[in-house]
Amino acid sequence: MAKVVIKDSPYNVKRAKILDIKSLTEKEKLFKIVFEDRSWLDFEPGQFIMVSLAGIGEIPISVCSSPLNRHYFEICVRAVGKVTNSLHRLNVGDIIGVRGPYGNGFPIKMIEGHDLLIIAGGLGLAPLRSLILYAIDNRRDFGEIHMLLGCKTPKELLFVDEIEEWGRRMDLHFACTVDRADPDWKGNVGLITSLIPGVDIDPLRTYAAVVGPPIMYKFVIKELLAKGLPVDQILLSFERHMKCGMGKCGRCQIQNLYCCKDGPVFTFKEIMDMAEAL
Amino acid sequence: MKIEQYRIIEKSKFDDFINSLITFSKVVAPVYKGFKNYIFQEIKSAEQVSLKYIPTIIPPKKYFMPQRETILQFDVNNELKVEPIVEYENLVLFGVHTCDIAGIKCLNMVLSDKPKDTAYLIRKKHITIIGLECNDYCDEYASCSFVGAHIPTTGYDLMFTDLGDYFIVHIHSSKGTDIIEKTGIFKPAKDNNIEELRNLRAQKLKIFNNEVPTERRYLPDLFDRSFNASVWKELEQKCLSCGNCTAVCPTCYCFDIKDDVDLTLKVGERYRIWFSCQLDPFAKVAGGIDFRKERSARQRHRFYRKFRYHIDRYGMVFCTGCGRCSRTCMAKINLKEVLTSLIKESEAKIWRKWL
Amino acid sequence: MSKPKVAFFDFACCEGCQLQVANIGELLIDVLDIIQVVEFREVMSEKWDGEFDVAFVEGSITDEHAVKRIKKIRERSKILVALGSCATIGGVNGMKNSFQLEEVGRYVYGEFYKFFPTIHTKAVHQVVKVDYFINGCPIYIPEFVTVLKSILQGIPYYVPEYPVCVECKLNENVCMYDRGLTCMGPVTKAGCNSWCINNGNICYGCRGLTINPNIEGFKEVLKNYKIPEDFLMKKIDMYNKCKELDKQ
Repeated sequence: MAKVVIKDSPYNVKRAKILDIKSLTEKEKLFKIVFEDRSWLDFEPGQFIMVSLAGIGEIPISVCSSPLNRHYFEICVRAVGKVTNSLHRLNVGDIIGVRGPYGNGFPIKMIEGHDLLIIAGGLGLAPLRSLILYAIDNRRDFGEIHMLLGCKTPKELLFVDEIEEWGRRMDLHFACTVDRADPDWKGNVGLITSLIPGVDIDPLRTYAAVVGPPIMYKFVIKELLAKGLPVDQILLSFERHMKCGMGKCGRCQIQNLYCCKDGPVFTFKEIMDMAEAL
Repeated sequence: MKIEQYRIIEKSKFDDFINSLITFSKVVAPVYKGFKNYIFQEIKSAEQVSLKYIPTIIPPKKYFMPQRETILQFDVNNELKVEPIVEYENLVLFGVHTCDIAGIKCLNMVLSDKPKDTAYLIRKKHITIIGLECNDYCDEYASCSFVGAHIPTTGYDLMFTDLGDYFIVHIHSSKGTDIIEKTGIFKPAKDNNIEELRNLRAQKLKIFNNEVPTERRYLPDLFDRSFNASVWKELEQKCLSCGNCTAVCPTCYCFDIKDDVDLTLKVGERYRIWFSCQLDPFAKVAGGIDFRKERSARQRHRFYRKFRYHIDRYGMVFCTGCGRCSRTCMAKINLKEVLTSLIKESEAKIWRKWL
Repeated sequence: MSKPKVAFFDFACCEGCQLQVANIGELLIDVLDIIQVVEFREVMSEKWDGEFDVAFVEGSITDEHAVKRIKKIRERSKILVALGSCATIGGVNGMKNSFQLEEVGRYVYGEFYKFFPTIHTKAVHQVVKVDYFINGCPIYIPEFVTVLKSILQGIPYYVPEYPVCVECKLNENVCMYDRGLTCMGPVTKAGCNSWCINNGNICYGCRGLTINPNIEGFKEVLKNYKIPEDFLMKKIDMYNKCKELDKQ
């Protein structure tokens, strides 16, 4: 059996260095990362990368920084499994493996010129943050921007400093809610769906970008349809356990679609008749 | 049929051919394992080869995409060092039936789709395929005629066809020519040999009849109507989720990727290993949600992967009619029967619409 | 960095799994390079009175003394591993739970059975928290090594959630049902790389039922092969009787 090194293998990973680690909540940490060769991770908001720790494994994580930031990129990691828990134990300066980006992100060129309604549930804010930052950086190219955030409790709120800043901005309409409040919470209490009827949007001019836990989609979509949003202007990003990221391993297949290659961002129109999608 | 592409070899010389082949290459061929089971394995002499065999337990896909395959090696002793690798060897596959050649064509399609699977392509380049035409059905499970895999077309370097006292051999590539030349046992085919091959093919048209009461071109329509068919629900009770059907399928290629380290915990490898949509962890995500929880949905997914989804994506039916899934299924889930039930149910629906 | 301190303990069992570890062979040197075995009654006489980084526990819990003892071991161990079928699923000791305790006592100890108080057989996790499970009767050494590495890497080890058939097919074995034998592979947890079948034996189901097994479907299969249903249920009970306690 001959064994040769194949540098052009699609499974090859690039060495990337952790520049900074910030605890966002008890379970989530934000990693600031740069490729060791200083190359740029050229991605679209909503795309994901495969992050690997040699000897432990590889997982798909969406990039949560602005795609225009050429100095570094960020990922927000919730410690739930083998790789994510191990990532949480890493320190600044540690080296990880990265390949990607993969998939279709949010169709920015289509959204530009329209209003944008962002609906983020829990960790769903991570991929959407990339879109938000892009939209803020290119504010004049977008119409009205509405942001609805929701999470279980105030303690689980991600990117608190940024959220405060977004809340203060004049050019963003911002609302936030928690499922269960604590004594210090002064905002809305209730599911994220409860915020939707109150948003003042022109449904035909608006693209909604929705990311959250699987359970959230059905209810949010129902509200958005009630609001009059066309089915091809509702954008959803799906979570599946991609292993290859290249439409081969079959793990992320939703009927004839591969979440990793055709998604993870889909319009509601693409998947509305598909069992196994939501 | 271009006569210059054909050679003949008398059956009395067959052993000499194999034994000569073995002298210059590793040769893999169907070998009998008892209890009507055959497997492809390396042979050391001609008598090990089973010329008459029903499809092997696992198709020859195992040589193109091994059950467990190292894709990266790493070393974290000082700092992370990663090297993607491929392991391959020169290999002659002898005696591959046309159904399994069809299976390899399907895999070629998927793994050479972008981004290309470099390791697969390298391994493929080092394998020579010598086909062996079936003159009759292997058993009642086959449905090769339905998918058009019963007659050799492409996908081989040499194709052996049994014509009584001798084999006629079609040379399809320079790799094939090399073998013909190196072994030096073959004689040029004459007109009467070609005539006999024509007769056999004509005879085969009578033997091989479409095994499923529909045609390939109607598959997309049939499956578009059948997502909620009651057949799937029946499979819920039957299927054991053992994953045998997908493991033995020549066109199933789904996999998992895992890491392994040695006892120093510093050196190790990343490997991919066959996985199956029939198994519990396959479509589960981190939060524990399983997007294909029911066995019926998993079986349905398997059938749609064979007969619907990949027609859109790759323009090919991903069933080769080899019958392995039905042969291996302990619960007796039979591919032909499932298709037949789908057709019946779908026809009934269409009639109801008209009445 | 000092090597993690590892101990082995046994409860109701045949000590066969520890014997597997003792017979680990060539790997022994590499294993001892990364761990320090501080207590292992089967191979050494030294004892350890401090804390254990990792405690491997073989055997099931079958009386109150054992309950007390396993709780103490748990208190002294950072990581506790259930080793083998008796520890992970109750194993063959679980068959006791098919009978009245009094009946069992009388059968074993005769009229003095009351001097030997007993309880229903329990798997270790049914008494204390278990961090890692190594199934099998006996354990499969490559899996033991994988788990050991996972422990040292600080990552979980997931027992495969699919049946032995999956690994058996990858090994391209002739199916035992084709040979006319009854094999528990279709409903038994994988992870052993179909060890028994590779060596010409049937699967006895020693690793316990896989998650979400289709027992009704399996009964139908057995009918096709003219194997009595009762035969299957007995085979399942042989290793899985303690599972009932999980449901309570």
